[in-house]
Order: sequence, then structure tokens, then C-alpha cells
Amino acid sequence: MPAKTPEQINEDLLRPLGGASARYLTALAFFAGIVIAAFCAFGWQVYAGIGVAGIRRPVFWGFYITNFVFWIGLSHAGTLISAILRLANATWRRPVTRCAEVITVFALSIGATFPVIHLGKPWLAFWLFPYPSERGLWPNIRSPLLWDFFAINTYLLGSVTFLLLPMIPDMALIRDRATGLRKKIYSVAALGWRGTPKQWHRLESAMQIMAIAVIPVAVSVHSIVSWDFAMAPVPMWHSTIFAPYFVAGAIFSGIAALIIAMALLRKFLHLEEYLLRVHFENLGKLLLVMSLLWFYFVFAERLTAWYGNEPSEMTVFWVTQTGSYSPLFWLMVFCNFVVPFPILAIKKLRTITGTVIASIGVVIGMWLERFLIIVPSLSHKYLPYSWGTYRPTWVELTITAGTFAAMAMLYMLFAKTVPIISIWELKAKEHPTSDHAPALAQTAEEGAD
Amino acid sequence: MAHQWGMVIDLDRCTGCEACVVACHAENNISTVGEDQAARGRAKHWIRVERYYEGEFPDVKTKFMPVLCQQCDAAPCEPVCPTFASYHTIEGLNGQVYNRCIGTRYCANACPYNVRFFNFYNPVWDKPLNLQLNPDVSVREVGVMEKCTFCVQRIKASEIQASSEKRDVKDGEIQPACVQSCPTKAMVFGDLSDPQSEVSRLARSNRATKLLGELGTLPKVTYLQRDSWHAGEDS
Amino acid sequence: MPALNSIYGLFLDPDAAERGMNALRAAGVAPENILVMSAQPFDDYSFTHAGRKTVMPWLATLGGLVGGTCGFLLARYTQVAYPSITGGMPLVSPWPTAIVTYELTMFGAVMTTVITLLITARLGRRRPAPYDPEISNGKILIGALDPSDAERADLERRLLSAGAERVKST
Repeated sequence: MPAKTPEQINEDLLRPLGGASARYLTALAFFAGIVIAAFCAFGWQVYAGIGVAGIRRPVFWGFYITNFVFWIGLSHAGTLISAILRLANATWRRPVTRCAEVITVFALSIGATFPVIHLGKPWLAFWLFPYPSERGLWPNIRSPLLWDFFAINTYLLGSVTFLLLPMIPDMALIRDRATGLRKKIYSVAALGWRGTPKQWHRLESAMQIMAIAVIPVAVSVHSIVSWDFAMAPVPMWHSTIFAPYFVAGAIFSGIAALIIAMALLRKFLHLEEYLLRVHFENLGKLLLVMSLLWFYFVFAERLTAWYGNEPSEMTVFWVTQTGSYSPLFWLMVFCNFVVPFPILAIKKLRTITGTVIASIGVVIGMWLERFLIIVPSLSHKYLPYSWGTYRPTWVELTITAGTFAAMAMLYMLFAKTVPIISIWELKAKEHPTSDHAPALAQTAEEGAD
Repeated sequence: MAHQWGMVIDLDRCTGCEACVVACHAENNISTVGEDQAARGRAKHWIRVERYYEGEFPDVKTKFMPVLCQQCDAAPCEPVCPTFASYHTIEGLNGQVYNRCIGTRYCANACPYNVRFFNFYNPVWDKPLNLQLNPDVSVREVGVMEKCTFCVQRIKASEIQASSEKRDVKDGEIQPACVQSCPTKAMVFGDLSDPQSEVSRLARSNRATKLLGELGTLPKVTYLQRDSWHAGEDS
Repeated sequence: MPALNSIYGLFLDPDAAERGMNALRAAGVAPENILVMSAQPFDDYSFTHAGRKTVMPWLATLGGLVGGTCGFLLARYTQVAYPSITGGMPLVSPWPTAIVTYELTMFGAVMTTVITLLITARLGRRRPAPYDPEISNGKILIGALDPSDAERADLERRLLSAGAERVKST
């Protein structure tokens, strides 16, 4: 790629912020319509009672908790990957970080709504918050749901600031170019950024600390989500493998979501000269590693259950392996391993299209994995007399569709308001460590004498 | 020492008549949900009679097993509740405070016995059943978990009666609705902390087993049965 | 507003900016009066090396310790405040307490980092400060704050000879 001048970079990356095309508005309205439908479905559920959802005894958790785990898992796309690449000083990350971090913030916000949506009495959700109340009762900190509360809030704070802090210089850039109301809004968002060396240095120090802090938080979040299940004596849930299994699966689905988002941005915002094939190739390799890791975890989990040969576990084992859930199970293996493995392993197939196909497979497969962890275990718990099956209703389907539409809608709105590629970080690449810099510093000191 | 309420169910006496189920519904204001909802798994039976079949047709034996909340000492449902709606009482019951419940349904998932029931809708009673609601038992609204209480209202009534007469509760004085209605006297209720009580005596029987005892939940319901595995050592 | 009195040169090339910086130092401008602004960090050039010392990592650690202590106390207090019957198990359950302590440690560290950044980088202040929108077009601003009228001509000459594209005086 011929080096771009700063002016070209500014122009290319600020162009999408302009007016909205008819195509953009149509797509936005389409997604907004689905989101509104989901809100209506939730409103109906609150009005009529949670019974309008398909959950039943004994499958008390269905699509909602599946979505919860799925979206929280997807949120491991951004902040975690971006933090690791930042710490590893991988220069190729620069055009990727922001569009990844946005996924985190939105996916986490969407996922965090599900513990409320699935409640029998969602209007009392604030009872989960630890605050001194007139009831004299604090929430039960022994409950993994409370751990979720703390972990998700910490992760949300971490990922929102991780996204917002490096946005400040870009806000200043837009501020300097905008006029009228836009200028006022971006002035506020830029927080009076001037670009003094002190500001730059503090920002980079803060990002370094944040990158260090956010990695263990991200790992803890999905571990705790897994403990929502592993802490209960339910067949195939009560397992020590769950925390690392969930974290690996989360990163797996996160990378896949990132690849899909990048491909869409590349196409619709014409970022062909910024999101290069090498980015998809590098992320594709990461996805390949995670696919193998996922397969390894599933294998280890199933193998242990098989040799343990505990009757209640074997019931769930067989119902997913050969029983009524087996079509979903093998579809999951197909989507998470059979499709992505050859595509990502063969260099010729590891193209942009190839990685996107693999990623779509992984997103579907990981959603199925969450479903297959939750529902077969609950529907085949110990006493055979109370086994049951689960089938979602239109309410759950609408709300599930609504979350995907919400993700698309929020992403579209974000890409219209903020440059989706960090402009200053991209420019910083233009000045890699120059060999003559130390010598210059030397002369500078002499000059000062 | 506080009472530790427990129950013994003699499976060799149970005829599967389901009188306990009906009595429980009447005593505890358990609403019926109708055919359609029952088919969707929303029926609420704090006690149910599980039917299992042994052998091949035509030589089939039916076994009945009434299952109710086992009032576990180490109950999986309790620590997972974020709002202390399910909690442990000093008399060893797994309490369920309806007013605290916000409907996470985590307790029901954690319960290995599936004896927790959720109000998917606000309860309704077909006329004239609405006229026979028990004033001692609160009705539960939508979004709330409910389950067998060992008829805590009867326990409390007897305890208050006894303390007003300045005496201890007598063995056999308290009868939950299921125990009272059992025509074969298959169920016995009493204080497990008193080694002389009928329930303690029966719980020490060599026919005694615990349901899913291997999970370590320490249930306070004991089942008596001539198990085919223990055939040789029967009393 | 005397603070807005300044003279500065806009440089396109960081090497020229480096020379401009040296020229200002040679002219005897006090280090605290030297203005530097850029649209990129330029870590490799010495003109950006002012004010590099920061206690931010230590403050973040401290914030983490404070957060963790709060988390531990909260977890402990809420378990003692509503003592549940645990059947011989400890009333203050160690695992959940550790988890809450850990999460709030990280919360405290992140919070402190953000607040430290906002304060030490003077972000969010409304006080007017010298600035030029040209910076975001890639220009590097090197200048002096509050120069005397006598100095202005000299500084302008020095900045231009260092390679400034333009010199502005406010």
C-alpha cells in the first residue's frame, strides 16, 4: 500500500460521517423496526406474564439465558483482543481495535439486558443491586447472579472507557472540522483535547494500564457466567472445565463477530485500503487456533463424562449425542469445526470471503453451543418422571431477533458518528521508530545547553 | 434445640391414589392452570406421585413414589437465590418468601428433584373453587416461585397452640395435608430432632433410603421401600 | 486573558519541529512556557518528552487496593447483616467474598486510571487555552507562551528559520 498522507487518511475515514444515503436509512429503519417489535414483545411479556415465553418446568432457562451467554461471549471480541494486541505491540491491530471495542460495548449492553428480560418480575430487577434498602435486606452474595452483577458492571466500565479514551483525539479532529451544532457536540466529546505531549503521554499510559486491567476482567466475566451453571448440581453443568471452556468459546465467537463486522465495514464504508487482507488473514489464524481449542474442550468434556459413566450425566450425554438434540449438536460441530477448520487451515481459502464464511458458521455454532449447554441438561435432570422438552414461542424469537437487529442498528449509528478506525493511531503508524531519533534527541539536548 | 421437621414416606404402602395431591392443592391455594398450560409444563403440584414401571408387558409392576420438596439440609436452591427468597429456617425448612422472589428461576434449575413451581401467569380459580381459598396461605402472583412448605401454616398453628397451653408439640400432632389425607397411612410427619418420635424411628429403618442421596443434599424426607437391591437384608 | 498570548510556528515535518523546539530553547524560553501540540504522539522525538513522569500506575494500584477493600467490606458486611443459616459452614463465604473483592479491585483500578487521566491531562476543563485547528490537519505546533513584545520578532525569526510553515502570533 502506498503510504497515505494524513490528509488522505482524514478524508477517507471521516467521509462515512457525512449525510446518510437512502440505502443506509432503509437498513437502519429495517433494524429499528425489528428492535421495536422486540420491545413490544417484551412489553407483552410484562403485561401478560412470563408464561408467554416458551420456558416451562423443568426447562426454566431457555432462549433468554442462551442469548445472555451468547452476547456476553461475543463481547469478548473487542476489548480482550484489542488489549492483547496492544500489549503485544502488534502494529497491524491499529485499524482493527476500535471496530472490535465497539462490538464489546454493544454486545455487553445487549447481553446484560437478558438477566432483566428473563425475570418473572422484571420491574423488581433493582433488588439485585447491593444498596441499603428499607427492606433491610442485602442481596445474597453467595448467588452466582450477584457475581455476574459485579463482573458485568466492572467489565462494562472497563470496556466503555477502553473504547472512549482513545476516541478523544479523534473527537478533537472532528471538532476542528465541524460547524454549527455538530461542532458543539464534538467539542464536548473532545473534552478540550489539544494534543499536548503531556496529554498524549497520559493517554498512552492510561491505555496501557487499562489493557493490563481489562484482560483479567474479561476472563473473569465469562468464567463467572459459566459458574452460573457450574455451581448448580445439574448433570453436565457441574464441571470444573466450564470456566475455561466458556472463556475459550467466548473469544472464539468474539473473533468471528469481529471478522464479520470488519468485512461489512470494509464493503459499505469503502475501507478497502485500511482493512486489508492481512487483517482478515491474521484474525483468521486466531480463529483457527480457537476453533481447535474449542474442539479440544468439547472433546475433553465429552470424554470425561463418558468415562465417568454417571447415569444422570450419561442421559444428557446421549440425548445430545444421538437423541433428540443430536441434530443441533452435530450442526454445532459442523459450524464450529467442520466448516471453519479447512477454510482457515488452507492458506488458499483463508481469503476475506473465506474467513467471513467461517465466521458466520462460528457465530451460529456458538449460539447453538450455548443453547445445547443449557436446555438438554435442564430438560433431563435426574428423575425421569419430570423430564420435559422446550420450544420457544414467538415472544422469545422476536426478542432474540431484536438483539441481532439492535447490534446492527447500534453499530450503524456508531459508524455514522465516530470514525470506526482510530485515525490518530493509524497515523501514528506512519512514524515508526526512526533510526535517527536518538541522534536528534542528542542534538536537542546539546542545543538546549 | 429447634424442631427439625421431617417426613417418612413408605413406598410399600403407597397405592398411588393421589389423595395427597388433591389435599395439597386445596390446603395450599395452588391454582390449576388448565389443560393447555398443563401440557406446556406449567402445572403446579407441590406433591406429585411419580409412576415407574418395572418389568416387561404383561408382567408389569407399577411403582408409585410421591415426590415433594425434600427440605434438604444442604439445599442447592438456597445459596443461588440472589434475593434470599429461598432461605433456610431455624426449624430446618427450605423457606420461600414470595414477596422477595423476583423470578430468576435459578432455584428451580438448581433443584435436583424439580419440586419448585413457577407462576407463569397470575393465578385464577374456576368458580366455585375461588370460594374455598385457605385464609392461612397467601396466594402467589405471576413471576414468583413456590413449592411445598411442609404446610408451615399448620406447623405454626400447632406450635402457637402448644405454647399457649405451655407444653411441647406432641408427636403426631402436626399433620400436613398430604399426611392427613393418606388413606394407607403411608406418610408420617414429625420432629427429627426427637429420637423418640415416630418419624425418627421409621427413618432409622433398614428399608430407609433418601431420594438422590448421593448428591449430598441431605434431604429430610426419607423413603421406605423393599428395594430389590436389598432383597436379602429385608426386615 | 494573558494566558492566550502566544507566538507559535506550525511545522509539517517532525524533524523541523524538533529544530523549532531547539531554537526556542536556545532563545531562552522557559520550559514551562514552551507550547507543543500535535495530532500524533511522536514518541520518538524529544520535543514531546516534557512531563513524562507520571504516578498513574501507582495511583491505579492504590485505586485497586481501595476498590478491593470496599469490595471485601461490602461482601463481608452483606453476609453478616443478613445472617443466613449455613448448617455449620462459614457465615462469610470465602469464595464469593474473594470474587466480589477481585471485581471491585479491578473496578477501582479502572476508575482511578480514568480519573487520573482526566485530571492530569487537563481534560474536560472549560478554561480557554491556546490551540490551532490546523493541528488536526497534521501540523505540529511549537511555540512560546506569553512572550514579551521584544521577544516576538526574535522568536518568529528563529521559528521560521527552523522550518516553520507559518508563524502565528496571538
